[in-house]
Amino acid sequence: MPRTPDDSRLDLLQGTLDMLILRTLQWGSQHGHGIGQMIRTQSDELLKVETGSLYPALHRLEKRGWLSAKWGISEANQRAKYYALTAAGKAQLVREQDRWTQLVTAIGRIMQPIDGKE
Amino acid sequence: MRPDEREIDDEIRGHIALAIKERVDRGEDPEAARRAAWAEFGYMPQVRESVRQVWYSRWFDAAADFARDMRVGVRSLAGAKGLALAVVITLGLGIGANAAIFSVVRGVLLTPLVNRDEDRLIYIRQGSATPGAENMTFSVPEIEDLSARVTSVSAFGDFSTIDFTMIGIGEPRVVHAGVVSGTFFEVMGLRPVLGRLLQPTDDGPGAAGAVVLTHRFWSTALASDPGVLGRTIRLDTRTATVVGVLEPSVPYPVDTEIIANVVTSPHHLDALMVTGRTHRMTELFGRLKPGVTVEQARAELQAAHAAMRSAHPEDYAGRAEVHVSVRTLREQIATPARAILLLLLATAGVVFIVACSNVANLILARSVRREGELAVRAALGASRGALRRTLLAESLVLCGAGALVGVLLAGPLVTFVARFAARYSVRALDVTMDASLLWIGVALAMAASVLLAWIPRLPAAETSTSGSLATSGGLRITPGTNRRLRLFATAQVAFSFVLLVGAGMLLAALVSLQTTTAAANAKTVLAIDVPLPIQAFGPKTITFVDEAMRRIAALPGVSRVAAGNVVPWRDVGKFGPFTFGAEGFTPADGADQPLAVLRNVTPGYFATLGVPLVAGRDFTDDDRGRGELVVIVSQTLATRLFPNGEALNRQLWWTDPVFGDAKRRIVGVAADLNDDSVLPLPAMTVYHPLRQIPFGGRLFVQAAGGDPYALVPAITRAIHEIAAEQPVERAATLEDVRAALMTPDRVNAFVVTGFAGVALAIAIVGVAGVLAFSVSARTREFGVRLAIGSTPRDLLTRVLREGIGIVIVGIVAGVGLGYALAALGASYVDGLRLPGLVPVAGAASVLAVAAVAAALLPARRAARVDVLRALRTE
Repeated sequence: MPRTPDDSRLDLLQGTLDMLILRTLQWGSQHGHGIGQMIRTQSDELLKVETGSLYPALHRLEKRGWLSAKWGISEANQRAKYYALTAAGKAQLVREQDRWTQLVTAIGRIMQPIDGKE
Repeated sequence: MRPDEREIDDEIRGHIALAIKERVDRGEDPEAARRAAWAEFGYMPQVRESVRQVWYSRWFDAAADFARDMRVGVRSLAGAKGLALAVVITLGLGIGANAAIFSVVRGVLLTPLVNRDEDRLIYIRQGSATPGAENMTFSVPEIEDLSARVTSVSAFGDFSTIDFTMIGIGEPRVVHAGVVSGTFFEVMGLRPVLGRLLQPTDDGPGAAGAVVLTHRFWSTALASDPGVLGRTIRLDTRTATVVGVLEPSVPYPVDTEIIANVVTSPHHLDALMVTGRTHRMTELFGRLKPGVTVEQARAELQAAHAAMRSAHPEDYAGRAEVHVSVRTLREQIATPARAILLLLLATAGVVFIVACSNVANLILARSVRREGELAVRAALGASRGALRRTLLAESLVLCGAGALVGVLLAGPLVTFVARFAARYSVRALDVTMDASLLWIGVALAMAASVLLAWIPRLPAAETSTSGSLATSGGLRITPGTNRRLRLFATAQVAFSFVLLVGAGMLLAALVSLQTTTAAANAKTVLAIDVPLPIQAFGPKTITFVDEAMRRIAALPGVSRVAAGNVVPWRDVGKFGPFTFGAEGFTPADGADQPLAVLRNVTPGYFATLGVPLVAGRDFTDDDRGRGELVVIVSQTLATRLFPNGEALNRQLWWTDPVFGDAKRRIVGVAADLNDDSVLPLPAMTVYHPLRQIPFGGRLFVQAAGGDPYALVPAITRAIHEIAAEQPVERAATLEDVRAALMTPDRVNAFVVTGFAGVALAIAIVGVAGVLAFSVSARTREFGVRLAIGSTPRDLLTRVLREGIGIVIVGIVAGVGLGYALAALGASYVDGLRLPGLVPVAGAASVLAVAAVAAALLPARRAARVDVLRALRTE
């Protein structure tokens, strides 16, 4: 079934949102709206993060010490909270990336034969 | 950093602003962009909540909810200040009294002593069933026999007391001193806080005099002065060195200021003390060997004692068998206080129950009044749990405040109860308030508040809410609620009845004590101690007493003077009882030799105290050492030995070896003056002329009028003119001496009557409240009754009958409850008696009168119901 960006989005695997957020922030600090937009554009509109997931995730990461937060003035000329990677966050990003690669390889090995039968 | 709610909102607003800007930048209409951005964002409160949950745990939220409930509770109670105040005061008193009494009970009965391995420390007592011989103490040969035969006790410690005139620490004065052997402190397991204690090297006639100060004496009279160590003091004629200060510990059997070694007391070294098997004056303690139980030691000691008795049958003759009892020291010390403390605890508990049931009534009545409010809240979607939580929060606020009041009250109450209990057990003096008190208070408050929150009925599910809502302005009372209200009122009456009967018993006992005829002049006679050392026995005493009486009699305001060896009710337990025989009297087969106490008095003693002579004559100045030996006996002694009244002129002699066997002629019979007890007991007394047994340091001065105490300075001066160093102490009227002895009974009666009064007041308020409530809820019913022909009088009697009904059921329940409590109490307290008819009838009538009075007000209101207005309600 063909998928269009509008009517179908991919549901994120449990835990991958944290990794995506960390990855998005590796080039510099960003506010929540910006992070959501970057994930959407970089995934060619396939991934759209709900605010109801994004903000709790940001706060969770901040609470664990992987992100630091600072208030600034946004492009809309209003107070916005800017998140940035901490040193611990960078280390976590590396760990998550490794695990992601392993996961993809493992799942790929299992899923390949099924794919072949279709 | 944990963000607060405003920061979360700010972050969300920032997000929306960016989303709008993005859309506007793409060319959308600003208003449409705003709406689309909000729609895209989702349900904002939910997002905010899920962010909050990252930082705030469920417990935090529960606590916040609880705080809100409490705030609501406080606010809603602020609208019912009278109720809140009544509940807080009632609970505060109940919690305070219970916590205070409980901490004293714990301190006196349960806490271990400071003595090392106190569970191995035992107290051994020798006694018989003969009245006055419950504690015969031991003689030195008896202690030697026991320690030679017993193996389960590793060491014995002995303790006897003697009075010394002590010079060298403070004013010269007479001190009550303990005399102990070198093993005593090791057996007791006590340590010094300064210097050393007495050791086996301090034993024997060759040792140097040594004394240890008790901690209380050292820290109060000597202000904890460490310089006292090594000081030499004079005890009567001997000298001794202060070698140490004892750690704070429970003094038993008596509180002394100093404890000395044997060599300081010549009496302890003479042959009578060392070899006299019946010369008993020593208390005995023991330390169990490790692993030995008290029961084993008791069995062994009793066997050894039996063997000793059969080896010396002549010294244990008589019908009442002499036996030994063995207890741990802790149990021994706690026993006298046990009954009274448990009584107080039970009383306070009953008052608490009455208070709680009254509080329950108040809350129940309030909850009926607010059934409308609860129904509205239920209709608006509040769950039953939420309603209960509101009620619980309210009762928590009430009970928490009550607990706070209670804990604040408990401090002074502990001091009060401890001082009271100290009359029964020295341990009470060391009771202090501690954290456990707080916990007891909090636990009681929690129990009460949970109970109270579950008393009101919640509006039932949908079905009945419509009814409650419709009549939310009026007042409906269901049969169930009414039953509960009555139940609590009845319970209050029943418990109050039990307390009133108890108070009545104690008051009756007190009244009978106070109306006892004692010495007729007790109010005007001053008793003064002028302690003379034992060495002054003989002519010295006679000269001194004669001179003192002559000088005092010459003082203005003095009407009579006499001297003796015992102040009635103060020198309790001295000079006897001893065995004696009399010419023409033989004890019934196998009966004990009669026992009597010995008193030495000057001529005029009976007239001064106001004790009438029933027959014969008073002593005269001619009854002196060289003359005929004479005695005066008490009336009970005379009639018991010689029922036909021929006591006068018969010979009497002591059979106790201390006095020799001189025959003395009975020249007079005096009315009974039992100076060992405030109870109106018969007295077995033999009076000697002081000139024939010249020993005694007690003066009796009758004031001619005015305040007897005003004479004290002049009397003291008069005596110091004879001997400057002579102590003059403890001047008090005989009335006051007797009153001091009766204080425990008076305080018992006072405390229990106070408790009963509180309970009665609560019960009256309870009954009145229930009736008033029932009347106000039945205005319509009364209106109907009036409309169909009842007279206001009928309504009045109807309500009165209701009140009396509650009281009758309450009293009947109270009688049953009283018997149940008495049966329960009898297993904890020895000698618990059931009340006579008078206290029961008295309590019942007090309650009945109180109930009628309480019912009168609501009954009159019922009678005054206005028919038309009553019918129009609802």
